[in-house]
Order: sequence, then structure tokens, then C-alpha cells
Amino acid sequence: MEIVQINQISPDQVIIWSWGFIKINATILYTWLVMAILVVGSWLVTRNLSSEINVSRWQHFLEVVISVIRGEINEMAKKGGDKYIPLIGTLFLFIGLSNILVVVPGFVAPTSSITTTASLAICVFVAVPMYGISQNGLLHYLKEYFQPNFIFFPFHVMGEISRTLALTVRLFGNIMSHEKVVGILLAVTPLLFPIIMQALGLLIGIIQAYIFAILSMVYIASATSAHEEGHKHEELHKAEASQGIAA
Amino acid sequence: MHIDWFVLGCQIFNFLLLVYLLKRFLYGRILKAMDEREAKIAARFSEAREIKEKAAEAAELYDKRNRQLAEKSEQMLNEASLAAETRRKELMEKVREEVDAIKTRWQTMLAREKEAFFQDLRGRAAREIYATARKALADLGNAELEEQIVAEFIRRVQGLDSEKSKEIRKAITGGGNKVVVQSAFDISPDTQAKIEQALKKQISNGFTVRYIKQPDVVSGIELRVNGHKIAWSLNEYLETLVENLTEVIQKEAHAA
Repeated sequence: MEIVQINQISPDQVIIWSWGFIKINATILYTWLVMAILVVGSWLVTRNLSSEINVSRWQHFLEVVISVIRGEINEMAKKGGDKYIPLIGTLFLFIGLSNILVVVPGFVAPTSSITTTASLAICVFVAVPMYGISQNGLLHYLKEYFQPNFIFFPFHVMGEISRTLALTVRLFGNIMSHEKVVGILLAVTPLLFPIIMQALGLLIGIIQAYIFAILSMVYIASATSAHEEGHKHEELHKAEASQGIAA
Repeated sequence: MHIDWFVLGCQIFNFLLLVYLLKRFLYGRILKAMDEREAKIAARFSEAREIKEKAAEAAELYDKRNRQLAEKSEQMLNEASLAAETRRKELMEKVREEVDAIKTRWQTMLAREKEAFFQDLRGRAAREIYATARKALADLGNAELEEQIVAEFIRRVQGLDSEKSKEIRKAITGGGNKVVVQSAFDISPDTQAKIEQALKKQISNGFTVRYIKQPDVVSGIELRVNGHKIAWSLNEYLETLVENLTEVIQKEAHAA
């Protein structure tokens, strides 16, 4: 059963229930599903955690995931990276799980909806100045918009908006297009090829999750510590380069 | 592309809710557990390091003590063996002395016993020889032998030097001019006259001679006067024989 028709560009268009302007569509439903899996899974594993040497394999698994996220964040944040873990980690886990579950028949990734990607990008867009202000103070943060001089202010603002847009469209475009391509291939090619495409889709999904999370972290890092600009730019270029490959 | 603002708001809320829930149920707990474990491991490591250090110190201490003990025991052993050696020498000296004393005593006793044995042997031999000789001579006894004995006796009287003659003369005078001649056999009056003649010629006149037959004087004759004696008998030959016999027995005993 196809939930999202091939001519429907987004699962937003699949309305399940509506009452006035309030409506529940496939995007929200599948978002809840992913949320439920993450929260219930975390709760099940962490309800009896052990800080001893011997731990359960699920705890090991989660510790590995969290350690990797923490390592990536600390590499960029240099210090106090743990406070970014909830935001960056949730971005990575939510996007990653959504993209992985695409292999389950009948599942539609919430990230193939531009509304979801836009909401995530908006969260990052808001979080960056919040972290920047809390770290360096409002004045210092605003001063960054006038560097090297006031002429650059509009460019800074445009940069903020455009990178948010880029985040939104990049994720949405990749996932949505992949779903469509697989759908079309399934219709026109024999059995084997769509499987390879699905495998490639998993890879793309993980890479997109990684890129989204890392770019968010780069933006936050550049906002929180303006003194290490060179390093940030390097990170930025690196992340954008990998995104280019994936795209 | 159409964006539904309600759905957008919903998704933002959903995401923030997810951030909160995961922070509550995942990151906080996992990070706490990891940090606690790290702290525990660090504590254990530091504890282990401390224990190791302590163990190393203890080992060093024991090693030192062991060395000291070994040195001490070696020293004690040396002293003990030295003392034992000294004691051994002392004891050996003492034992040697005792052995020497016992040996000396034993040798003395042995010599005494030997002496007594030879004394006894000599006595017995002499008695046996006496008895045998006496018996033989008694069996052989005849006038001719007795004459020969008396003739030898007379030759001896005649062979006295002047000094001896003088001493005997003095003795005869001191003894009341009495002379006793003892013999193992009876002396005939002719022979008695020959004897008296020889005595008077050699020594002096004016004394009386009394003849006594005495079997103890083995095949012989003797003149006794106040402590002086002129005699011939087998006794002296027998004595020489006994002496020689004793000597031979002793030599044999030593050789054995």
C-alpha cells in the first residue's frame, strides 16, 4: 500500500484526521512514531543503568552512540561540549532513525517533508543565537554581525537565513528525491536494482543526518567562540565538502 | 511549495519535546553512568596504583629483611661452626688425654700382670726344673759324681783370693770358730779330711767343721759361715737356665 502517492511531493499531503485548521497528517504521525521509538527505547534501556564495569549490550550500544556524538561535538566545541549534546544528538538520532526506517515497508520518513526539515532548521536558527548570547553576552554576539565592518551586517543576516534554508532544502531534497527515485525504479526495473538503491538510501540517510547535526554544531560553535574563526571555517568547508559528495 | 504553519508549529513542538524527553531519559542518564564509571575506573586505577606502590614498598621491606636475616643466619652459622669446631677440638683433646691415661693405666697394669705372670712362670719353671733336676740327679747320684762335686768345691776353696780368705777368716772367728758344710749327700771321712785340709791351708786353723746333709742343696755342697758362703751346686746353673727361659718366653710374647 502506497501511503504517499508518487505524484504527492510530501507526506504532508496525506491528511489522516482534521478538525478546522487542526489536522494530523502522515508527517506528524510518523514523527510521533519515531519519537515513540526513541523515547521508549531510551527509557527501556536507561531505567536500570549500571555504572559498573559489566553493563547490558543495549546500554553499551547507546553509550557508543552517545560517545561518538560527544566526541564529534567536543572536537568542535573544544570546551563545555556536553551542553550541546541534547540538541545536536537529538537532531542526529531523529533524522538518522527516520531515514533508516525508510527500509521498513509502509514507513514514510518525516524528513521527506519540507515542514519537518524546516522546523528542524528553525530550531537550529533559534538555537545558534541563544547559545551565542548565553556564551558571550548579547553585545559581543551582535558585534559579530558587524565584523569586519558594518557593511557586512546584511551579508551576515543573509548568511544566517540562507544557511537555514540550505539545511532545510538539503535534507528534504535528498530524502524526498531518494524516495521518489526508488518508487519510480520499483515500477520500471527488476527486483535487484531497487535493493541496491535502498542500501544506498540508508547510506545517504545516515550521511544527511550526520551533515545536518555537524553543520548545526558548526554554526553554534562559530557563534559561541568567535576567536577561533579560522578553525571554524575549516570545519565548515569540510562539512560542506562532504555534503557536496553526498548530494 | 506549500508549508502548513500548523504542522510546522507541531513539528517544532514535537522536536523540542523530543529534545526534552531524550535529555531526560537518554543523555542525562547515559552520560551520568559513563562519567560515574569513568570516575570509578579512575578511582580503581588510583587505588590499584596505591596498592601496587604499597606492595612494592612491602616487597622491598621484606626483601631487605630477608637479606638481613640471611646475613645474620650466615653469621650465626659461622659462629656456631667455629664454636663447634673449638668444642670438638677440646673434646678431642680431652678424649685423647683420657685415652692416653687409660692406655697408660692399661699398659702399667699389663706390665704389672706380665711381670707377675713371668714371676709366676719363673717360679713354676724353677720349681719344676728343680724338681726334675733334683730327681734326675738323685737318680744319677753316685760316689763318682759326689767326688767330682767335692773336688770342684775344694778347687774353689783353693781358688779364693787373699782378700776373700781374710774376710772368711774374720767371719769364722766372729762365728765362734764354727763352720757348717751342707751337702746333698753324705760325705765320707776321707773326703771330709780333704776338705778340712784345704780349708785350713787356704784360710786358717782352729775351727770345727760340722757336716749336715741337706737335700735342698741340689747336687751340691756349700760352706756357710756367718754370712759368707763358698759353694757349688746345680742351683746356679738352674737359675741361669730359668733366666734364659724367661727371656725367650718374653721375646716370644712380644713377637706375638
